[in-house]
Amino acid sequence: MTDTQPMRLGKETVGVVNKLKIGIARRTEGRGVALLIIVIILVAIMEPTTFTAYSVTLGRIALIGLVALGLTAVILMGELDLSVASTLAVAGVIMASAPNIWLGTLAALVAGILIGTINAFFVVYVGINSFIATLGMLFALRGLAFVLSDAKPVRIADIEAGIAFGTALLGPITPRVLIFIVTFIALQIFLSKVRAGREFYAVGGNRQAAFDAGIPVRRRIFTGFMISGFVAALAGVINTLERTAADPTAGSSVLLASFAAAIIGGVVLTGGRGSILGTLIGAFSLGILQVALTFSGVQVDIQDIFIGSILLIAVISDPTQLRVAVTSIRFWFQRREKSQAQT
Amino acid sequence: MTTQSIETIGEVGIKQNKFNLLVWISERGVFVFTALLILFGVFFVNGFASVINITDVFYRAAPIGIVAVGMTFVVISANYLDLSVVAQVATAAVILIGVSNDYGLPLAFAVALFVAVLYGVVNGVAVGVFKANAVIVTLSTTFIGLGILRWLSGGSIFFGPEDGPVRAFGQAKIGSVPLSAIVLILVTAILWFVLTRTNFGFVVRSFGSNKEATRLSGVNTPLVVIGAFVITAISAMLAGFVLAAFSNTAVSTMSDGYDFQALAAIIIGGTSVFGGKGSVLRTLLGVIFVSVLTNILVLSSIGFGLQQMAIGALIVVAVSVDALARKVTKK
Repeated sequence: MTDTQPMRLGKETVGVVNKLKIGIARRTEGRGVALLIIVIILVAIMEPTTFTAYSVTLGRIALIGLVALGLTAVILMGELDLSVASTLAVAGVIMASAPNIWLGTLAALVAGILIGTINAFFVVYVGINSFIATLGMLFALRGLAFVLSDAKPVRIADIEAGIAFGTALLGPITPRVLIFIVTFIALQIFLSKVRAGREFYAVGGNRQAAFDAGIPVRRRIFTGFMISGFVAALAGVINTLERTAADPTAGSSVLLASFAAAIIGGVVLTGGRGSILGTLIGAFSLGILQVALTFSGVQVDIQDIFIGSILLIAVISDPTQLRVAVTSIRFWFQRREKSQAQT
Repeated sequence: MTTQSIETIGEVGIKQNKFNLLVWISERGVFVFTALLILFGVFFVNGFASVINITDVFYRAAPIGIVAVGMTFVVISANYLDLSVVAQVATAAVILIGVSNDYGLPLAFAVALFVAVLYGVVNGVAVGVFKANAVIVTLSTTFIGLGILRWLSGGSIFFGPEDGPVRAFGQAKIGSVPLSAIVLILVTAILWFVLTRTNFGFVVRSFGSNKEATRLSGVNTPLVVIGAFVITAISAMLAGFVLAAFSNTAVSTMSDGYDFQALAAIIIGGTSVFGGKGSVLRTLLGVIFVSVLTNILVLSSIGFGLQQMAIGALIVVAVSVDALARKVTKK
């Protein structure tokens, strides 16, 4: 009649519900999914044209999301690449100044990888914090874009090709959306199935442990910055082709939106946690929100306020940080009550 | 983060036996480079050594300098930087001219001070209490702040009255030194006192070198971060006043680029972005360096793009020297 069950340490871990609970607790996309659901419901009620004009919405999502996908690779390692905004502008100007579209694309993409390499060099070998290194690069490269373009928009040589690039291939799938989908799938496979990509998580989670385990940490950081530089340059090339001209001031609003997409999607800034899927969810919610706001005639200024606020809330509601903050606030109150009780 | 804080502990007691160029540059370089730059300007740049030009350098250095000496607190407390100073300066300038036109100066000062403290507290709470990344937090508050400013002001330019006190302040000079430069020196003196002679300043520096040790020694660390951001915000407000008084106009785009010019001045002055090390007086020297450099570039009719490249590269080089010197002293 006595208890014959074997002793268990900790909580029961069997059962579908429990497994689901643990699975959800491990994921970081919760906030992104919540925001996406709220946005979809609100937009469906207030501005349903956003979904009927889905080609516009998809285009906007691809615009925000592409840069964010590249950033995710860097943020997963606990680093930050602020220079993407200027990389985009520089790549666009290089692309437009070239006599031939293919040559221009090639040169722009190589420039993107080169910029990523320079960033990684400062982070890895000089030992500067990536926030400051890429911030310096952000300013320097914006200057470079102005110098290369003579501070004026540059038209591309072959305007026909640009117009052809902007037209849809199949349904709402423009080449921009196609490239976005391909990049998403490629990075998803790289970060979840390829050994080198999975090591990104190890580098971000605990760099010293990753180093001790024999992971080439320095090479991985180089790869990460090259990916983000390459993807930012790709976004610059696409922008330039669609608008048939390169703007040296391009990219300043992309910086906010792409960081917001990645952070809302649950990519933790300290590294090691998050997923490309999360970034996609973040890009979807921001893209739908932006298009809906534009359709309902909201000014750009107010859109900036919206996205800025969402980013601020997302960055302070990071699951791990939130727990620390709530604990410290609760502790503070307890201490105050105790000291009041004493007096 | 924690590893960095640990690394910086050992530095305090290290005796420098061997001469090392990198360490020397990161410690003393700014004095030599500023002197060399001024000498270069005097001898090789046409129109540099004239009273009009020097006065102009003072006028342009004052607002950037006030922002930079304030932001030194955020940098020393190891929170990288405050990007939102761009929004703060523009907001203060627009409030000073826009509100004082309709409701008088005292209310304008009160509103501007309220907004500045609000900026400081929002940034400080997000970074200090919620432990969020300062770069991302201030990036988002920049967009929120500028968005609200453009929305409320409609993006229009505000002009002050020709005979108002703001105009009089902007025009006032003692000899050939504008009053705004005197404000810069006053702010620097006050903040120097706060950073080196008060308990709060000591805690800011110790928090910058080792967050965990400071917390464990019983300091209310979130309050330190909030304090650093509030000081930055109030300095940015003063800079906005000075900037608005200089031209007697205010518009939401007038402070573009202040974030990185201030950061360049702070880093070149020798304040470390790794936190804990630096001084307000060095920042003042960095401001002189950056202003003189910009002035020489403008006088040599070098375009905006190249100027921006130069200052961006300067930030990266200055931080690199600091980082490499740090590696050397550790060995």
